[in-house]
Amino acid sequence: MGHIQSLGKRIELVSMDKVCGDISIALYEAADDNGSATFLIHTYSHLDGASARIAFIVRAMQVLGGMDPVPGVGHGVRFSCGATHALGCRRIFLEACKLASDAVLAEKPLTIFDKKSERTVTVSSRGAGDYGLSADGEEDGRDRRVGAIAKGLIKLAQTEALADDAVRFSCGQTHDAMVGLLLPRALNVRAAMREQEDQAGRGVLAAPSAQT
Amino acid sequence: MMTEQTTPVSPMTSRERVLAALRREPVDRTPVCNPTSVATVELMDLVQANFPAANREPELMARLAATSYTELGFDSVMPVFSIIQESAALGCKMQWEQKDNWPTVRMSEPIWHGPEDIVVPNDFIKRPDTECVLKAIKILRRELGPDVAIIGKTMGPWSLAYHCFGVEPFLLMSLDDPGRTKAVLDRLKEATVQFGLAQIDAGVDALTLPDHATGDLVSGEYYERYLKDLHIEMVERIPIPLILHICGRTVDRMGFIAETGMAAFHYDSKNKPEEAMEAVHGGIALVGNINNPETLFSKGPEEVHAEVVRNLEAGVQLIGPECAIPLQTAIENLLEIPKTVREWHAANQTIN
Repeated sequence: MGHIQSLGKRIELVSMDKVCGDISIALYEAADDNGSATFLIHTYSHLDGASARIAFIVRAMQVLGGMDPVPGVGHGVRFSCGATHALGCRRIFLEACKLASDAVLAEKPLTIFDKKSERTVTVSSRGAGDYGLSADGEEDGRDRRVGAIAKGLIKLAQTEALADDAVRFSCGQTHDAMVGLLLPRALNVRAAMREQEDQAGRGVLAAPSAQT
Repeated sequence: MMTEQTTPVSPMTSRERVLAALRREPVDRTPVCNPTSVATVELMDLVQANFPAANREPELMARLAATSYTELGFDSVMPVFSIIQESAALGCKMQWEQKDNWPTVRMSEPIWHGPEDIVVPNDFIKRPDTECVLKAIKILRRELGPDVAIIGKTMGPWSLAYHCFGVEPFLLMSLDDPGRTKAVLDRLKEATVQFGLAQIDAGVDALTLPDHATGDLVSGEYYERYLKDLHIEMVERIPIPLILHICGRTVDRMGFIAETGMAAFHYDSKNKPEEAMEAVHGGIALVGNINNPETLFSKGPEEVHAEVVRNLEAGVQLIGPECAIPLQTAIENLLEIPKTVREWHAANQTIN
């Protein structure tokens, strides 16, 4: 049996990892000696395969989210800019936990076909953390749809609005991998948020009078 | 408020501390107590004791319960995580759920419709879901020794009636036919007493008695009419400290509760510590109040710290969460409760 460890502030939890024996996997946020944000992926489980599962998630966060390993911290990751981007990191963690441990990992493209508007949506890095969004096809409804997807990126990756069709990371650095990973979720941000809320609402005991 | 004592209290064990506080006697420091569950999914991983099995297998139940003392630093352990053990033993239809969710009774499929239907079986405390608790208590006493307070739980008749009759049918009965309602409670109380006495034999120091006459559905007047005398009877028949648990806003009935002879009232964060202390007027100890859904579940140690301090400054006798904590609660928030209590006492150099 292990013991409780001081790991920082827990900012996300997957309470049952279906890939690895229903273990609980948590994402902790801390700061290094320079004050830069670091993240740790941890499970208290000693189940066979738990350690390998954590190692996979760390690797997936590096490839899919463009995060770097933290020297000397086994299961640590951070953004190269040193900023927190906690919401974005939480989404990267959740996406990584959805993958089977033998999944092939590759950075996601900055272009995607949007079934709702039947357009191809492209996000372009303009440097200094700025990203512009565009979509092909007729003008009718296009700007509105691009604006909605930009708002999705703001909610998921904690970017700032530059214009209706442009967002920016406050750190001023590019994060292409994170944007590519979150772009499919930004197409239907309500579903992504609802999924997160449903997950967070589990495990709260209600009085019998409040149960159905 | 805190009472300054001229005679310092000698260092106490966790068990002595909890029991003294339940008697409203001086303590060396305010105990950190969990009359209901502090199990989390991460603690389940730590000791390899997952829900739902940890509600049904004594070894797992005991192992998970022990973490409140061994890992979190609370002064008590409480192995009855859920509110369904007796109802399962009585034959209610169950949904045992998974690791990250609570087992529940399918109240939409009631097993009884009137007092004449109620049968507390002769082997009630030997059925798997009640016997599991008794075995877990024995394991905890053996493993943890005499220095830790073990708190059991026996559900009150009002809560059992919700489970066995369904919430809506039972509440309608309470409106339409007080005589039948009292007959239901009168029969169901035997399950409460039997299970409570069996837990005493198994080794508990105190019992939580949840009876969900909750503030949202049941008035203070209802509490006095239907439950006050029943709770007095529970105190007379179950000879260890009882901790009554009712969720929600309950200040309107705290005066009545304080007259039952119960040792403590486990109270909800919908009641302010200061007004609750005023309402019970020294007639009963208070425990609980640290908010679950907003503070322990969604916020951080700073907010937990503030709520603990507010309870300490109000003179609340035992500190703990308001109810069974959400299973996804962060461990650092739970650790903050005993940490704050110790720091506060060190800074104030006072005793309760």
